[in-house]
Amino acid sequence: MAVCTTGLGTFATSLRFCRKLQHQNERLFSTSMCRPAADSEPPKFVPPSKPVIVDKTQTVTSLRKFLSPEFVPPRQRTVPFKFFLERKDMIRRRKMLNIPEFYVGSILAVTMADPNASGKTNRFVGICIQRGGNGLGATFVLRNIINNQGVEICYEMYNPRIQKIEVLKLEKRLDDNLMYLRDALPEYSTVDPEMKPVPFSPTGEVPVNSLKVKMLPKPWSKHWERPKFNIQGISFDLCMTPNQMAGAQKRAQPWREYDMLREYDTTELKEQILKEVQEDMSK
Amino acid sequence: MKMLAKLGCRLLLQRGAQLISPRAAAESPIQLLGCVRTLKKTTWFEEHLTEDNQTYLRNLMAEEYRKQTASKLNPLRDEPWPRQDWTEGSRRVGLVAVKLGMAPIWTKTGERHVVTLLQVQDCHVIKCLPKEEFDGHTAALVVGGKNVSPFHRSEEQMEVFRNAGVPPKQKLTIFKVSDNAIIKPGTPLYAAHFRPGQYVDVTAKSIGKGFQGVMKRWGFKGQPASHGQTKTHRRPGASGPGGDPAKVFKGKKMPGRMGNTYITAHGLKVWRVNTKYNVLYVHGTVPGHRNCVLKVRDTVLPTRRSTLLNPPFPTYFTEEEVDLDEDLYDDNLFVHTEPSVTLT
Repeated sequence: MAVCTTGLGTFATSLRFCRKLQHQNERLFSTSMCRPAADSEPPKFVPPSKPVIVDKTQTVTSLRKFLSPEFVPPRQRTVPFKFFLERKDMIRRRKMLNIPEFYVGSILAVTMADPNASGKTNRFVGICIQRGGNGLGATFVLRNIINNQGVEICYEMYNPRIQKIEVLKLEKRLDDNLMYLRDALPEYSTVDPEMKPVPFSPTGEVPVNSLKVKMLPKPWSKHWERPKFNIQGISFDLCMTPNQMAGAQKRAQPWREYDMLREYDTTELKEQILKEVQEDMSK
Repeated sequence: MKMLAKLGCRLLLQRGAQLISPRAAAESPIQLLGCVRTLKKTTWFEEHLTEDNQTYLRNLMAEEYRKQTASKLNPLRDEPWPRQDWTEGSRRVGLVAVKLGMAPIWTKTGERHVVTLLQVQDCHVIKCLPKEEFDGHTAALVVGGKNVSPFHRSEEQMEVFRNAGVPPKQKLTIFKVSDNAIIKPGTPLYAAHFRPGQYVDVTAKSIGKGFQGVMKRWGFKGQPASHGQTKTHRRPGASGPGGDPAKVFKGKKMPGRMGNTYITAHGLKVWRVNTKYNVLYVHGTVPGHRNCVLKVRDTVLPTRRSTLLNPPFPTYFTEEEVDLDEDLYDDNLFVHTEPSVTLT
């Protein structure tokens, strides 16, 4: 400790010395610098640049390399040409309506044209629990609890009645499918309809919310503890005994991960389609 | 060649074994299981050729196809038959298309429908059968679609295609046509022959289900699952009235092969036509599996005939209507380049 203080002391004195020198030098040079030449015109007044106000609440186009999952064709006997035609239509729609990047677990607000609603538009805020479908028929399910009633709405991404899709909170969860929220405590599915959008950065990693959800007492709509669903986001130690967990593991099929016929490697396809989509979107 | 077939499988298999045996020395017995040869009754084109020659022939075939299609691109220039105008009762040709798949579409009011995409691949008129040759009442045109390799087609079939100057096709169909709608053989047919808003009939072979029971094939109700039923849950039950006829009538619905028969879907609306890639977007579902070849023609239904006023007659020629848009849409269809639908 004594060593540190002495070190600091010497540092401080040397700083003060430097600053003194600087001040003296300034006083020496200040007058000469201000007047370069008396006969030239006075320097033009350059107004200070306006501060750029970046509105982080508006949707910022993501700079991450993200390809929406509905662009990736499934493993079928369909000719790639059919997917190409569908992709052209999807890009045309995306140029008219901005469909932002979002994942299962993000909180979205969707404004849709509704003939039965007052003002003819209907805004629904919810947490995305599932993304399904391929091509133009791609869907996502938003869940929220309104007046103590759980409500899930399945929206088609390319439906022309959708007027606006906003991402209020961009985040990922530990699973790709949050259907277990139906059997979880209602607090985990409640989203404030008047929620303000949380700003997120367009670059960098998407934040992963490693929340472990508490469940309602059994019976559940599905046996979420079984290895078939492979759910990481439920805290099983609070609702199940080790015996029950072991019983669920009996239904494990460990050979499935070695089954080569089930492999579908989409990395090359994804790269190629991402390049194509980015080119078409920038046109 | 027929003699060979009559001699039976045994000789062929022996012959096959003789062919494979010189190679067997090099390959291990495990690898031999992979190259099981399917039954080939006649000599196939690769049998006596070296590999270089095989690739050369394949490339030659592709080049020939390209030349043939290129030479037929301007049908109006090489002495077409005299064209006549469309009248009320005239019937025009149809097309042969390939079923690509299905996709959703939305109308301008926001309703969702499903459409099947049909692509017209290399559709040409092969032969014209005038009234006297065909059946004495109507003229007919033989149309072919979807190019296929010539190596597995017999000489008689190849002669037909050579007369038309066109590559061999997978499917040949006959379209009954009125006398004023006959077209010269060799004319290419495109998807713009049909326009959005009109109705079509699509004929194709339905998906084969194999030997099926009476419940799936004819929709019988079967029997209850429990309450004492002994070994009878999906059976047909009674097969006729009883003692008076004392027989089972012909045509009694029984188990048998289901599917793989020609089925026609009538009155399907054409929502959209892509003239660049020759794709038709046709309402609803269509018989057949993906990538199957179908026959598409104007509707026979009397209530939908009013939509067929002034169609391209006898067919659509690219040289005539040069300024067609890449995509032709129906009036009610929502195009994705428009802004979102707002309901008032």
